[in-house]
Amino acid sequence: MPLLARYSDGTVAAIRDVVLAVDQSVAQPELIIADTTSYDEIDRWPLDKVFSLPSHQSELRVGVEDRPAGARLVFTGPEPVSVAHSIFPELHRYRRREAGRQLRILGFSTLALVSVIVAYVVGVPLIANRVTAVVPPQWEARLGDAAQGQIMQIIGAEGGFAVCDYDPQSLANAAIARFTAEVMDGTNSPFTPKIWMVKSEVPNAFALPGGSAFYFSALLDQTHSADEFAGVMAHELGHVVHRHGMEGLIASSATGLLVGFVLGDMTNISVAAAVGATLIDSRFSRDAEREADRFAAETAARLGFDPAALATLLERIARDDQMSQSLAFLSTHPLTAERRVALEAMARDATPSAHGPVFTDAEWRAIKSMCDRVVPSQMPRPDKTPSVRVQPMPSN
Amino acid sequence: MPQQSGTLVQFSGKRGELFGRLLRGYLLMLPTLGLYRFWLTTTKRRFYWQNTAIGGDRLEYTGSAVQLLVGFLFALGIFLPIYLVFFYLSFQSSTIATVGYGAAALLLWFLSGYAIYRGRDFRLSRTLWRGIRFDQRGSALGYAIRRFFWSLLVLVTGGLAFPFMAGNLWRYRYTHTWFGDRQFSFAGSWKTVAWPFYRAWLVFAVCAGLVILAFTFAPGADARIASIGWGTLVLIPVAGLCFLYYRSRETSRMFSAVKLGGASVDIRVKARSLLGQYLLYGVCLLGALIVMGIVGFAIAQMFNSSLRGGDFSAANIARAGWVGLVLGAGGYLATLSAFTLLGEVFIDCGFWMLVSRYATITNLESLDDVRATGEDRSVAGEGLADALNVGSF
Repeated sequence: MPLLARYSDGTVAAIRDVVLAVDQSVAQPELIIADTTSYDEIDRWPLDKVFSLPSHQSELRVGVEDRPAGARLVFTGPEPVSVAHSIFPELHRYRRREAGRQLRILGFSTLALVSVIVAYVVGVPLIANRVTAVVPPQWEARLGDAAQGQIMQIIGAEGGFAVCDYDPQSLANAAIARFTAEVMDGTNSPFTPKIWMVKSEVPNAFALPGGSAFYFSALLDQTHSADEFAGVMAHELGHVVHRHGMEGLIASSATGLLVGFVLGDMTNISVAAAVGATLIDSRFSRDAEREADRFAAETAARLGFDPAALATLLERIARDDQMSQSLAFLSTHPLTAERRVALEAMARDATPSAHGPVFTDAEWRAIKSMCDRVVPSQMPRPDKTPSVRVQPMPSN
Repeated sequence: MPQQSGTLVQFSGKRGELFGRLLRGYLLMLPTLGLYRFWLTTTKRRFYWQNTAIGGDRLEYTGSAVQLLVGFLFALGIFLPIYLVFFYLSFQSSTIATVGYGAAALLLWFLSGYAIYRGRDFRLSRTLWRGIRFDQRGSALGYAIRRFFWSLLVLVTGGLAFPFMAGNLWRYRYTHTWFGDRQFSFAGSWKTVAWPFYRAWLVFAVCAGLVILAFTFAPGADARIASIGWGTLVLIPVAGLCFLYYRSRETSRMFSAVKLGGASVDIRVKARSLLGQYLLYGVCLLGALIVMGIVGFAIAQMFNSSLRGGDFSAANIARAGWVGLVLGAGGYLATLSAFTLLGEVFIDCGFWMLVSRYATITNLESLDDVRATGEDRSVAGEGLADALNVGSF
């Protein structure tokens, strides 16, 4: 039975049915392609130069080297396909070589991507740190200004934004300012932080790029001692000193780039990209929290307050929240138990200073009652407030 | 003109086979961190191309995954500067940032037109039929500019300019499409789709108008809220039906206006066939989500029972947290995959099936003397489309 196939020469679209025969008489065996009716020879293909192409399971499609790229023989049906397979000796080798090549490329590019990710995870805090060092502090301050309105709107929507005490000369504000100056002393930070006590139902405190920090009244209500207060403040000022807001922004930009590469959506519009980026960024935030804790512990040793008080406050707030305990490794914050151990260890290593109490009893009482008589309607005008805030670095 | 008997286009692909290829590809994307997507796209295209036969000869897809990968790396080169601009903008005052982000969004919209054209070029130039390659010439930049300004005009006119845009872009695409040395031509214009478009537009506009009227004259706040609720409930299916009606007419009429020398194609896709594909998709998606929900719930129950036993040790809580995380991430990925996978199996594949089933080609013999042109080896074609998430098939 003659071997039939569909033949196209790769130069004209006219396709024809051909009959095939193998010429073994020459040194390199050749496939003779001839017309089905006239048996006129059309072409001769060297058998060992024939390679197979991806095709439908019902057919075998082959091309040949040294002919136009579109030159094809197509065998259809099980019988012609198996005969064709036995004719072309190199077919399997070509196919295996191609499959091996694809596998190698896929394997190597995956390895390359893995090493990029590992390098990223290890290196991004370093990169973010270095880049932050060259970002002018004015940029960071402007970044704060840009989102000032946003933060106020968010807090305002929760039932009114109000600064507890506007008077910078009041006992409480003067004490906070003195404490802030003592904390910042010797840190070489380009910023002069200002801490705002703000009326809010959310127990939180956070630092903003550019230097300032918010301390919410609900957190103040849960703060039972001056040392706890000092601990939270020192922690937030640690974010300011280490410019974590800026680092976080740089890190999340880099993460977006990486996740976009993995998922193939550089616009990061898809939900998958957003979730992926958040998961990676949370790890970075936790490193920042540890660094701020370390700063707080060092400050505590230097100024002579109890570094573990910060952990005591954190535990008080988190106590009722079993869910947050079990999912803490996912959140931006390390487990409070872990933080307590770390804080206490750091406190043990430090040499306690002879510095007196950070706040006098009168000062602490004034601070504690700062937000007691605030009417939540005094929304400060954005242009009056100093150049700071934005990109909350949620903390506590 | 002599009466020619038409040649049918045959599509032999089965949904099950596509599903298998996609499922395998999705699973392989996990260990390869997503890189397998280039191979998946390639195997998917091979499925479509190989199963489509015109005049008894199957199409051949000659593109490779490596070309897609390299193209994507090229596209990264375009995206890095944009990324840096975004980064810089985030430091600026809110006015500059708003203007900057707006400009960047417009740039991305513009680039997506460019990417769509280059992607089409990539696919056509890697499509072989009877040993002859298709090709697309013309300028991707020119296409992007046209699409950009037309779409702005469509926006400004509340959609009324759409048929003009469709006519113009279809003409640009097809007059720059080649089979070997033979150029396609396009006999359609805005008039080809004007009637179905304005009909669909009017139906939707009247319904939307009625909803607004109901809202305006509703007595009391409760009635207003109810009118919004019922209005949305009515408007969404109306919009969907209008879309399907228009899409079927555009597909039929515009494709039927495409000519290749003496050969022409006639396609009649019905709106109800399209609707059938979407309903099938909806039913299967719902079924898949229910099954996944039951499985997820069962797994969660299994692991929660140890917690309910009263073992609140830190390790147990942490383990519950991990189980929750794995379930959450897995469920999220599975849900997302179900949407796209079933969408590809039912809507994309369904559309291809409908178009090929209802396509008849006249005077196919006239293509016998088409000659091949040189090879097109450019790989930068599709990377941008992948990066912008606008790729198709």
